[in-house]
Amino acid sequence: MTTMPASPFVQVGVLTGRSLLGLRDPRMIVMNLLQPMIMLTLFSQVFRTMADAPGFPPGVEYLDYLMPAILVTTGAQAAVWAGGGLANDLKNGVLARFRTLPVTMVAVVAARSLFDLTRSALQLLTLLVAAMLLFGFHPPGGVLGSLGALVLALVVGTGLGAVFMALAAWVKNGELLQTIGMATMFPLMFASSAFVPVGNLPGWLRAVAVVNPLTYAVDAARGFALGAAAWPALAAALGVSSVLLVAGLGLAARGVRRP
Amino acid sequence: MIHAEDVVKSFGTHTALDGVTLRVPRGTVLGLLGHNGAGKTTLINVLTTVLPPDGGTASVAGFDVVAEGAQVRSSIGLTGQYTLVDEDLTGRQNLVMIARLLGLSSRDARRHAAELLESFGLVDAADRKAGKFSGGMKRRLDLAVSLVGRPHVVFLDEPTTGLDPTSRIALWETVERLTREEGTTVLLTTQYMEEADRLADAITVLSHGRVVASGTAGELKAGLGRRTVTITPSDPALASEVLSRNGFEVGRELDAVHVPVSATREVAVVVRLLTDADVDLAALTVTEPSLDDVYLALAAQPRGVLQ
Repeated sequence: MTTMPASPFVQVGVLTGRSLLGLRDPRMIVMNLLQPMIMLTLFSQVFRTMADAPGFPPGVEYLDYLMPAILVTTGAQAAVWAGGGLANDLKNGVLARFRTLPVTMVAVVAARSLFDLTRSALQLLTLLVAAMLLFGFHPPGGVLGSLGALVLALVVGTGLGAVFMALAAWVKNGELLQTIGMATMFPLMFASSAFVPVGNLPGWLRAVAVVNPLTYAVDAARGFALGAAAWPALAAALGVSSVLLVAGLGLAARGVRRP
Repeated sequence: MIHAEDVVKSFGTHTALDGVTLRVPRGTVLGLLGHNGAGKTTLINVLTTVLPPDGGTASVAGFDVVAEGAQVRSSIGLTGQYTLVDEDLTGRQNLVMIARLLGLSSRDARRHAAELLESFGLVDAADRKAGKFSGGMKRRLDLAVSLVGRPHVVFLDEPTTGLDPTSRIALWETVERLTREEGTTVLLTTQYMEEADRLADAITVLSHGRVVASGTAGELKAGLGRRTVTITPSDPALASEVLSRNGFEVGRELDAVHVPVSATREVAVVVRLLTDADVDLAALTVTEPSLDDVYLALAAQPRGVLQ
């Protein structure tokens, strides 16, 4: 028989399910949660006096200021993993088989993206609950505002993840990708409004922070958490993320098709 | 079912396929013979739509590999040189996943997977991770996975490379059953003459990206290979001398003398010459040429010998 291939939606579902089977490994879950917890602990303790610094918004707890940024930067770091995951898949023979099947490569990368979204959502949710229970994170924006920040972090992470997947499909080398990821994400995280107000950064760093999309993402997430929605930042963050998502997935699909 | 016409494929300055033309009729097995680097895998990649050709045309199951890639992919199965299964999934999960991707419902996919596990002798290992399978089992799973969609055309790229003899024979039997019972068209690449001899209806020899010979195993042997008369004479030195003097090529190995002959009547000539020279023969055997001989003969010659 010549088969009638599954619809693209079924393909995405089946392929996402395939990746989720790998998530059953409890070691993976623990490792996924450990890193952001360490970040949260370190940053909240190391920088707690930051709220007394000049230029810091008055009357705002540093934890309330920090937590949305931790959510966004954790989401952004998960993006590097999405690329690493695809690079791993490319080494796995099964992707070579997908090229010979009536499977659309967009479904392959979209499934990878959905899987990472799921993983990232679990990670961020655990982080948020831990911050509330263990560190007393109760921002003015309340639970709803915190969840808004979380969703935005996921959107930003998914957009960036598509970019790293495109890169992975291009370089086809997981280690190189991790190196590129670290080399870009760390500067982007620090040259932004994530940990200190942009106004407190030295001049040249401030210039970088102003054009850094992560600044808008952090500002928008912070707006949700602090209960004062930052609409222009939100629009910028959503706009940039959607462009990255569409372009990234398209390029990644093309790259994956090429052996 | 498979038709390639003057297919060209280069990687940078290296020409992997230099105008390959071949045709595989429905329900037959073509053995594609060649050393490493002859272009076998590149040709498979072009025919399975993984790589676009730089020149020429190719169609599989009636669909053009460039313009109708999706339809080609719906009609084929591939068992590669390296196993194309997900090593993190179990054997069963691999089969179910592919069946689902090919459009089977979840229930049908599970049933079909169970059937394949049964007929490939993988029932006991079904729920172990494929990464933990032995080489032979992995290859069997790979073949099972490539047959999930009951493809019209199956590509087997060096399916037995690296397998132990028992697994190799088991795989041969599976391929034979497949062609006999399902009428599947098969393109098989191999470095083993024995494999091509046993499985293929026709053989094409590829060397440096070109077809250097094609025909049935019998035709190739008849056209290129010479039979060898091996004798154990009472006086090997004298026998060699007599035969060389009469224009025969002679090879000596301990007490045995090998004499390649190109026609049956030359066997009689050899015997008569030795009888006339009073050389007794303790033993005489005539061996047919093997495909290895054909291959070695071809490798030493320019293209176009037998076309």
